[in-house]
Amino acid sequence: MTLTPAERARYQRHLALPEIGAPGQEKLKAARVLIVGAGGLGSPAALYLAAAGCGTLGLLDFDRVEVSNLQRQVLFDTAGLAQPKAEAGRERLARLNPEIRVVAHALELKAANVRAVFADYDLILDGSDRLSTRYLVNDACVIYGKPLVSAAIHRFEGQIMTYVPGRGPCYRCLFPEAPDGVVANCAEAGVLGVLPGVLGTLQATEAIKLITHTGTPLIGRLLVYDALELRFSEFRVERRRDCAVCGETPMITEPRDPKPPQAADAPRDGIGRLSAPGLKALLDSGAAAAPHLIDVREPWEFDTGHLPQALNIPTSEFAQRLGELPRAGTTVFICRSGGRSLRACEMALKAGVGKPVNLEGGMLAWAAQVDPTMPVA
Amino acid sequence: MSCTVRIASPLHSYTSGAATVEGRGGTLAEVLGDLEQRFPGIRFRMIDEQSRIRPHLRLFVNSQEARDLSAPVGGGDTVHVICALSGG
Repeated sequence: MTLTPAERARYQRHLALPEIGAPGQEKLKAARVLIVGAGGLGSPAALYLAAAGCGTLGLLDFDRVEVSNLQRQVLFDTAGLAQPKAEAGRERLARLNPEIRVVAHALELKAANVRAVFADYDLILDGSDRLSTRYLVNDACVIYGKPLVSAAIHRFEGQIMTYVPGRGPCYRCLFPEAPDGVVANCAEAGVLGVLPGVLGTLQATEAIKLITHTGTPLIGRLLVYDALELRFSEFRVERRRDCAVCGETPMITEPRDPKPPQAADAPRDGIGRLSAPGLKALLDSGAAAAPHLIDVREPWEFDTGHLPQALNIPTSEFAQRLGELPRAGTTVFICRSGGRSLRACEMALKAGVGKPVNLEGGMLAWAAQVDPTMPVA
Repeated sequence: MSCTVRIASPLHSYTSGAATVEGRGGTLAEVLGDLEQRFPGIRFRMIDEQSRIRPHLRLFVNSQEARDLSAPVGGGDTVHVICALSGG
């Protein structure tokens, strides 16, 4: 794929690098890269890959731009609030570099669509915000033979590794299975805005190296970044012979959706369900045995707005504070949208709490159906 | 014997926010037992009922991966607790 004069002018600093030069830039022009998750990681990765002249760039995200994204998701701006991220990102990248093609995939990645979506790409970058998506992306990359550059962040810590099928371990070799239950949900923990800037930029670096066959990729080496101490640590990771997807006798031969997330509408033995208006009615009824309210959101979410009767036991402390749960009466568990609270109900049930009840739809439902003045973080 | 333990970010709630704590013991099992004394509940987040390292977590002594709890830990070593992160 030869370069046009306009492209030669745009990429002259790359052309000046012997390690890239015109052959490398032509490889970039021919490259087709999919970014899964246009969030904190996907933003800088997309901006740098677009600027670098990656010929086809896919942006996959089914969310819309929210104001709380703008602290770190530098692909978007205030004018783009409420727009689909994939589309807003596509427009921004097209303004940055009209020489490339950007494809917006405003959809949720599933086992049913991953093959069709991945078919148009040669390299995948994972910057998604769910472990279940990370396993789906990894499994699909192994099965379809696509290189993957995967990064993840939490508070002040980030991780990145590159997985090339047949050339090293995969994500399941590193972490064979996702954690169960309350420990899984750390999306509410907060994140230093600039942290994904570092990790997403490293993902773009790895992508450019893989495309141009330059340097040494991060295969079999997990890089961990601690922003507070400004420290990078590297750990060697071996391929697992018993890996469920890339091992000698793989159990996973087709991408599959994770076990259904703990949806609020899934009935569970011993756990009650209450709608937001139902809880309002219960609280207003003045029943002698008023329900206990346990809000399992993180303290900063709780501080933004909560029911006055609620006690805050965040999920991150839940396992340690089971002893504080009331043993008698009805206990209603509350979170933002009903997922964390359902898991809390399950733990409470196992711990011997009499009647755990899940507030379905969480505080978002409360704000939507009962009290529109209730702020929800 | 004293070592340094670097704690994965999702487990900082057990260590009052500390990313680095001191550990004591000659094996990984002893070091984790020591941590459990001071930070109740933290061991169960790393190790299951069958004393296996949980599959979303990796333990390294210095840069060497420890596949089980019998791994020796020497004075001055650093134990790294690395946990799968989901954020993006």
